[in-house]
Amino acid sequence: MISTLAAFGAPSLAAPGLCVLVTPQLAWLHLLSDVAIGLAYLSIPAVLLVVLLRRRDLAYPWIVGLFALFITACGLTHLMHAWTMFSPAPATDTLLKAITAVISVAVAVLLWPILPRLLALRSPAALAREVEERRAAESRARASEARMAAFIANLAEAVFVVRVWPGGNMEIETVNPAFERIFGVRSADLAGATPERVLPTSLVEQALPRWRIAAERGETMEYELTGDLPVGRRSWQTVLVPLRGPDGRVERLLGSARDVTATRRLQASLVQSARLATVGTMCAGLAHEASQPLNTAALWLRRVRAVARDLAPEPKAALVRAVAVLEEQMQRAGELVSRIRALAGAEPGVEESFDAVEVVGAAIRAATPGAAARGISLALRGGNAPMPVRGSAARLEQALLNLLANAGDAIEERRRLQPNAPARVEVDVRDDSGRVLITLRDSGAGIPEAVRDSIFDPFFTTKDPGRGIGLGLPFAAAAARAMGGSIEAWTPPEGGACFRIELPLAEAPGASAPLGAVIA
Amino acid sequence: MTAAPSMPRRILLAEDEVLAALAIQDELQSEGYAVDVAPDGQAALEAARRAMPDLLLTDLRMPRLDGIGLIRALRGMAPLLPVVVMTGYAPAGGTAAFRNDGEGPVALFSKPLDMDALLEELRRLLPSAG
Repeated sequence: MISTLAAFGAPSLAAPGLCVLVTPQLAWLHLLSDVAIGLAYLSIPAVLLVVLLRRRDLAYPWIVGLFALFITACGLTHLMHAWTMFSPAPATDTLLKAITAVISVAVAVLLWPILPRLLALRSPAALAREVEERRAAESRARASEARMAAFIANLAEAVFVVRVWPGGNMEIETVNPAFERIFGVRSADLAGATPERVLPTSLVEQALPRWRIAAERGETMEYELTGDLPVGRRSWQTVLVPLRGPDGRVERLLGSARDVTATRRLQASLVQSARLATVGTMCAGLAHEASQPLNTAALWLRRVRAVARDLAPEPKAALVRAVAVLEEQMQRAGELVSRIRALAGAEPGVEESFDAVEVVGAAIRAATPGAAARGISLALRGGNAPMPVRGSAARLEQALLNLLANAGDAIEERRRLQPNAPARVEVDVRDDSGRVLITLRDSGAGIPEAVRDSIFDPFFTTKDPGRGIGLGLPFAAAAARAMGGSIEAWTPPEGGACFRIELPLAEAPGASAPLGAVIA
Repeated sequence: MTAAPSMPRRILLAEDEVLAALAIQDELQSEGYAVDVAPDGQAALEAARRAMPDLLLTDLRMPRLDGIGLIRALRGMAPLLPVVVMTGYAPAGGTAAFRNDGEGPVALFSKPLDMDALLEELRRLLPSAG
């Protein structure tokens, strides 16, 4: 072993510090250990450098750098130590050791102050825990958000959010399904659009000024509106809440609207019903009291006519003429009494079960020649199956004839201003959850909002003198009411007028015969 | 028409409007009917007890006994008695209000009366005996 070492120059046993390595074996072990430590000390900083270069997100990269430097210096002292066993270089060895000492001390001194900060660094386990906690919180938040979204989606009230831009322009941000249902619009068409462009005119005209006021004043606002929407006439109550941004400006309006159509309709129907009942009582009394003197006078006129038979030709002719005039006038008065009596709903006629579809068809057939003469087309839709109702078929037919005549008048009124306006009346008859709906839609002048509440009042008319005395629509209302139904009128967005008679559907005759009766 | 039947058909007229009753009586008599006039339902009932008419022609609103009460009372005595009602205000349900199954016919006329139509109906209900 010694001879092998000696072959490329044995380490000097006289080297400083090695005076105790008395045997060659120990000297070699010492040498190899130094070389191994030195190489290892050079390898470790290389790893550290790679880490330093690859991981730019380390908390204190300069510490890693210092360690690399410190380990490199230590490694160099060990290699130097090995070298000096062959070739003593006391000056270089000492200098290297001194540099290593400076670096070591610097690292040692720098490490202490940074200790608290290093201890404060979160461990990977703590980080993992934190990540887990955050994930759980996020999933809780998502679930809560989904729950809230489900609440809003299933809410019976319409909810909408309107963005208010600094210039005052508005844009619909989002609406819930109830909004689509109540106002008959599609959510997909609304998002990001201006209200004027996508919402029904009647809604925009009434609601937009209120939205502007709420946005300007920044105050919560409540209002109730009624308008003709694509889905029909609707009433809704709205609460608007302004939402402010960080700068205090109103950035959004949060609105919720409740459909109160059914309630308002019920109220209106109760009012109409009470009014009609009053009118009925009044008409009945008036008809009775007026009919007595008219009756007596008419009977006595017949006597005058009988007496006139025996007179000379000249006075006879004069008397007969006078009687004819009186009779004609009294007949007019008598007809008026009959119509007023009809309003009271007391005209003779036994209540019967009949097919509403058949009566609608009969009314249209009866009205068609007259309408055609005025250049008006009548069309019937629906009514593919019989719809039994109870009441007087003759009264219902008369009510429909009145409505058709009224539609014809409205069309002519419009044509006086617009000669090329369409002239048609569409009658739709359908059953809807236990009710028969008879809807007349005309292309006439429409119903001015101001008179909407009065059109079913007796003797109310917007027609020229001599064209109508205002008993046609009240009769239709009285007929519908006598059958346990109702009537309503509105102006649809596309113009013209809509009248709808609603009647309770009667049991189909024979359809309800109990099975037992058949077996028996 | 002037060839009077051997026995004129008898009509009981119940009407509280005296002037109207007079004119109707005149018309009916000139048509060859024998007419008893009663100013209210009670008087008519008493007259019918004395001699049952061939037909009752009655108003509805009358003092003491109204038309419906009179009809019920007379039908109790003569179920097949034809009845003609003249009224300014017919009750809901029309003739069904006056007539039970198996009873005589009821005709309803509203006031002011169409006298020609009334006479036509009388001729139908009371075919001339002659």
